[in-house]
Formats: sequence, structure tokens, C-alpha cells
Amino acid sequence: MEIAAQALPRNRRVPSWGPWAVYAVALVLVVVLSRATDLNVALLAVVGAILAGAAVYLWSRALEGSRRAVDRAATLAVTSSFVVALVPLVSLLVTVIRRGAERFDVTFFTHSLRNVVGEGGGAVHAIVGTIIITGAAAVVSIPIGILTAVYLREYGRGKLAAAVTFFVDVTAGIPSIVAGLFAYALFALFLGPGIRLGIIGSVALAVLMIPIIVRSTEEILRIVPNSLREASYALGVPKWKTIVRVVLPTALGGIITGVMLAIARVVGETAPLLVTTGLITSVNTNPFAGRMMNLSVFAYFQYKTPGVPPEPYLARAWAAALTLIIIVLVLYFVARLVSLRYGRTEIQR
Amino acid sequence: MVSRATAQPASEKSTENSMSVDGNSCIEVSDLNLYYGTFRAVADVNMTIPRHKATALIGASGCGKSTFLRSLNRMHELVPGARAEGTVELDGEDVYAPTVDPVAVRRRVGMVFQAPNPFPTMSIYDNVAAGLKLNRSKIKKSDLDDVVERSLRGANLWEEVKDRLGKSGMGLSGGQQQRLCIARAIAVEPEVLLMDEPASALDPISTLAIEDLVQELKQNYTIVIVTHNMQQASRASDITGFFNIDGAGQPGRLIEMDRTDKIFTNPANKATEDYVSGRFG
Amino acid sequence: MRVTLQEDLDQLEASLQEEGELTRRALRGALNALDQQDEELADEVIAFDDEVDACYLRIESGIQSLLARQAPAALDLRTVLAVLHVNLHLERMADYCVTVAKLTKLVAGVPPDQTIVDAFEEMGERAEEMIRVALESFAARDVERAESLVDLDELIDRANRRAVKQVIASGGDEERREWGLRMILVSRCLERIGDHAVDIGEQTAFLVSGEFREFTDASH
Repeated sequence: MEIAAQALPRNRRVPSWGPWAVYAVALVLVVVLSRATDLNVALLAVVGAILAGAAVYLWSRALEGSRRAVDRAATLAVTSSFVVALVPLVSLLVTVIRRGAERFDVTFFTHSLRNVVGEGGGAVHAIVGTIIITGAAAVVSIPIGILTAVYLREYGRGKLAAAVTFFVDVTAGIPSIVAGLFAYALFALFLGPGIRLGIIGSVALAVLMIPIIVRSTEEILRIVPNSLREASYALGVPKWKTIVRVVLPTALGGIITGVMLAIARVVGETAPLLVTTGLITSVNTNPFAGRMMNLSVFAYFQYKTPGVPPEPYLARAWAAALTLIIIVLVLYFVARLVSLRYGRTEIQR
Repeated sequence: MVSRATAQPASEKSTENSMSVDGNSCIEVSDLNLYYGTFRAVADVNMTIPRHKATALIGASGCGKSTFLRSLNRMHELVPGARAEGTVELDGEDVYAPTVDPVAVRRRVGMVFQAPNPFPTMSIYDNVAAGLKLNRSKIKKSDLDDVVERSLRGANLWEEVKDRLGKSGMGLSGGQQQRLCIARAIAVEPEVLLMDEPASALDPISTLAIEDLVQELKQNYTIVIVTHNMQQASRASDITGFFNIDGAGQPGRLIEMDRTDKIFTNPANKATEDYVSGRFG
Repeated sequence: MRVTLQEDLDQLEASLQEEGELTRRALRGALNALDQQDEELADEVIAFDDEVDACYLRIESGIQSLLARQAPAALDLRTVLAVLHVNLHLERMADYCVTVAKLTKLVAGVPPDQTIVDAFEEMGERAEEMIRVALESFAARDVERAESLVDLDELIDRANRRAVKQVIASGGDEERREWGLRMILVSRCLERIGDHAVDIGEQTAFLVSGEFREFTDASH
């Protein structure tokens, strides 16, 4: 019967080295052609991939039947999409590492730009500033965020809770520059226009962080099974103690992860800090007085207003960018480790 | 031929809870109605729960027996909009009196739930001690050790866990976890222990272990069990109450309550008869 | 619901009624053998008891299986217990029929006292009727009819006492006296059959009401 003949795979198989051989051939052709002609490498690669895929499909169809062939084609399509998605990321990382490595030295991490023109100098003032500004933002936003989430999950009923949820959702979508302008306007009201302080940047970042922390904490509190709360109530433990001693410890891993992700999100923000913290070339450790530099603004200005020659400035900018990426990666990895370690004692399925 | 002693003449069938058990009552329920908002879930319950006995509540799903059980320690109030009318007297004091704090009630009336729920971030020792540590600020370590050991022995779990008190409770089997929850509940020395289908998530061996445990526990505590497993009610309880519901949307009612052997050999009410013999529906 | 349980219960009761029918036939056979002094018939009655016993064992094993598998409660439980007891009573009744047949064989050849034998025929008919009433009232769960067995039993008891007096009065030689003694035993068997029928009636009342009570005080 026709259907049977189509549906059942035939007995012969494409050998396991087969597709790889086809891709290898295609790769070689692409390389050769790109050297030999002026054709764009990316175009050649795309065409090569499509042709290689078609070849594998036809070969498989001939030997194994259409079902297996379609299977292989789908696998190829999915894999290529993945590769395409990876390309920008890899390219970015490679570029930043390559360019940033030039100034990734001890001087960079120990000196500021005080009295530095041209070569030399470092970004220690920017690193210190990033840490202080982000740290202050965290100190403000973590308690507010967690307590808001606790209110929404454990206590909130009715209009106030609905309003709070609405505002949290709205704030989550604020463009970061708006947060910066808000913070600046707030402080300008009291301290006059033109004010530039580290703490204003922290406020702006806090406005960005709070909705993230609220949402992720709320999510993790939702996952804590209600049976734990009930078990605690049934022992005659009051509600607030249940939350503090049972619910939050159980949710701790998830909360920490959420906080770290929020920090990672804002540590690289440039726009709000541009309008709030100002420019300075030396280290300032007091967020309440004077301007403060941070890594993203530092990178921006090194790029935007290089001196003559521009190379040292650009090199410093790349190094700052690399430092930022490393900080974010470290934060992500730590978040991962925390959730893995706490995952053992956490909610079991 | 054996001549049997003449039994009492066939008594008239009463529909009240004819309790011919000795022992004073621990909980007196009068005219209890339970509402979720405007919906009446349980209607007009009058019941006496005798001290130091195991009372089982049976009935089909949705007939209000779990709701009723939770009203005995005011846990049903955790659902927004839930309220109770009527009185539940624990040793003569109405737990629904306006001056009574629900948290205080729950310290005297403990509860064990259907799915075992030990606190995942605490060790076995801390789980058992949780009720005490969370409620009272300072207890000497030696006193706490005594309480933990006593409670674990009371729950027939001491021998199995005495060498790993510091380990997490989540590593125990289902039956052991449930006994851990029982130990946790009795550590605060309640007068009454409510059990909401305590064995329905467990395998048959663990179920029988829990039932044996109930027989031991009732020497010191008054036990009320809700179960949808009739054999469990017949095996493990002294008194059985049957809840039923007239139809969808109707409130659940207590139809009959009597000694367990009577309910399962010669119940007074036809609905009870149909339910226990499985001819329901 | 509980289709299997209901089928098992119906099956047990049908077997019980069948056993009752077998017991009645055994009684009729034993009475005929006694009346006609028929040794061959008596032997048949004795052999026939195997069928009753087979029925008895089938019901016993059916009850055991039902209890183990079905965990009956309330009315179902009482039904099973009642069937268990009625089964025992029927089997005992059949055994008494065998005793009557054996006694008939022992006195074969001795010319009987016809009045006494006729009295036995009447007692036997009454006993047969009692078996029928007992089983019918059990099937119909008719307590009033079951209680009427007491009056029927009273008649058999009286006839038993009369027969004893008659045997004592008739006296006679050694052969005669031996025959009389055996006949008293036959009378006793018939009276006991009547008692077991009353017991079956009591089981009917237990099944319906849930309480067991004796219909009469058994001391006399």
C-alpha cells in the first residue's frame, strides 16, 4: 500500500558521518569562494548552509524515506536558528575581550583619571562609583521590594492591593531615562537645579529595581505551597511570624536570585546616571556629596570625547565595557549557584 | 446448642446522636452553620465529641466534613469571606466568642493535613520544635530536647530518626513525614488533634501505621479524623459521624452520629446505610 | 453499585433456598421410609445427605470469599451472617433426617405401633411445613411470618410429649421396648428439626432489625 510505503522508514540509513561530511564540504567551498571572489562571507555562509541542508535532506529521503528526511531537515533548521542567535553574542564577547584586554591591567584598576591626559590612568573611580551607586540602590530597593511583595501575596486584598500591583506593573516598563529624570527632578526640587549626587543615581536605579524585585519575589512566594502556611497556622503561630520564620526562609533562594538579577539589570544602566551623577575624574566615596563616576558613563564619555590621540581613550572605554560585562556575568553565576544550593532545601515537587 | 443471652429489645431508631459512650465531652458543637460569603456550606450541626476517643467523620466529597473540621480550630477563617454562626465549645468555652483569639484556639486544637507538609528549610529536630520555638521565645535546650524526644516517641518515629535529627525532614518517606507532622502537632500539647484525611496520600502499610498510632494517641488526646475511606473509619474510630448533602448547591448536614460498630452494622438512617454499604448513588 | 457484592449475595441466598429444598426432600424421604419400613429408601436418604453437605460447603466457602473480598457493612453484613447461620441450621436438620433413616433401618422387621407411626407422620408434616415457612419468610424478610413458627413448633413439642407418654404406656416385650426407645429418638429428631426452623426464623428477625433475640425463652 502506498501509505505504508511512505510512512515506514526504509532499511537503508544515511551513515552517521554523512551529514557532517556534507557540511564540511560546504564549509570548505564557502571558505574557498570567499577568498577567491569578492562575495560577502555571510551571504556565502547562508547559501552554503541552505544548499548543504538541501543535500542532506535529499540524500536522507532517498535512503531513509520522507519521514526521517523531514526529521533531519527540522533538526537542521532548529540548529541553524540557534547558531544564528548565538552569533551576535559570541561576536560581542570576542570583540570586547579582544579590545578590552589591551588596558585590562593593574593600572586600570588602581588609578583614576585625576590629572591624566592621554595615556595611562584608570577607572578605579568609576568602579568604586558603580559599586557605591548600585549598592545604595540595592539597600533602598531590596527591603521595599520584598516587603511590597509580601504585602501583595500575604495580606493584600481589595483595592489597595490592586492599585499597588497596577503601579508596580507600570513602573516596570518605565524607560530608564525617565527614572533618571524623575530622580533628578525630585532632588532638584529641594536642592536646586544642576545638582549632581551619587545618591540621585541610586534613587533612579532603585526605581528601576523595585518592580523587578517585587515581581520575582511575588512569583517565588506564590510557589511556596499554601500547605506550609497552614501547617504553621495550625500550630498557633501568628501570621506575621509565619511569614518571617517559615515562608521567607523557604523562599529565600528564589528571593536572592531575584535580587541578584535585578542588580545585574541596573548595574550597566547609562542613561539615568548620565543625568544624575555627573562627571568626575577622581574617586568620590560619598554619595551624598559631589559627583560620582560610574563605569557605563565612563565608557560613554571616553568614547564620546576622546582627546588627541583618541586611542588611549578608546582603549579605556573598551576596558570599562569589559569590566561591566564581567561584573554582570559574575552576578548571574552567583545567582545560579545560590538557586542551586538553596534548591535542595526548597520546595520539593 | 449455644443459647445466646437475650439482647435488648429492638430499640426505636433515633436520628439524634445517641451516644452511649462514657467519658465527658471535649467539644460541644451547637447549631453550627458555616458560610463562604453568602453560600452556606454546612448547616445546623449539633455534635458532641467525647474526650480521649477517636471520632471519624465520613461522607461523600463536597459534603462539608473538611469545612466542618477546619471550623473546630478556626482554620476555615483563612479563606476570605468565610464565617461561622453558632457555637463550638472547647471544655465549655466557646471558641467563637468575640474575645477569643483564633491563634490561641489553634494552640489547643492542633491539625494534621492530608499531604505531609514538614517545613522544608528545617531539620527534623527543628520541625518538631517549631511550634514551641515560634511561640515562646526562650526555652532551655534540655527542655526542648525532652519535648522533641517525647513527641517523636509519641508519633512512633523516634527509633527511626533519633540518629539523624539534624537532617532535613524532606529525606523521609511519605509515611515518616506524616508522622513527623504528627509529632510536630503534639509537641505543643494540644487537647484535640484534628486530622484531615491523614493517610489518603500514603501507601497501605503507612496507612495502617497511622491508624495504629491514632489508637495510642487517643489515650492522651481527643482525635477527630475526616476520612473518605470507610474502612479506615471503621478500623480506627470509636464514634463515627456521617455527613451528607441533599443536592448540588445544598449545605452539608450531619445525618447520623453513633458508635462506630453501630454505624457499620445497623445504622438508623437509610442514607447512612446506603453510604456505608456502598450503595450510594 | 456494588454489582459484584449484590450478585454474590443473591447467589448465596439462591443456594440456601436450594439447600432448604434438599433438606425438605430428605425429611420427606425419611418419613416415607419410616412409615413404609423401607430399608432401601432409608439407605437412599442416608446417601442423599452427601448432596446437602456439598451444598453446605459451597455456601460456607462463598461466605468466606465474600467477607474477604467485599468487606460488607450494615445490611449486607447482617445478611451474610444470617446466611451463615441458616446454612448451619439446614445442615443440622438434614443430619437429623439421616438419624431418622438410620433408626428406621435398626427397627426394620419389628411390627410397628400404628398410632405412634401416624403421630410421627403428622409431626413430620408439621416439620416439613415449618421448613417451608422458615425459608419463605427468610426470602421475603417477613418477620411476622417467621414469628408464627413458634406456634407451629409448639404443636410439634406437644406431639413429642404425647408420643413419649404413649411409648411408655405401650410397654411390651424386649423387642417392643427397643422399638419404643428408638421411636422416642425419632420423635426427638423431629422436635429438634422444628427447633432449628424456629432458629431460622430468629435469623430473619435479626437480619431485618439488626438485633438478635430469641423468639421464646428456650428453657422449657
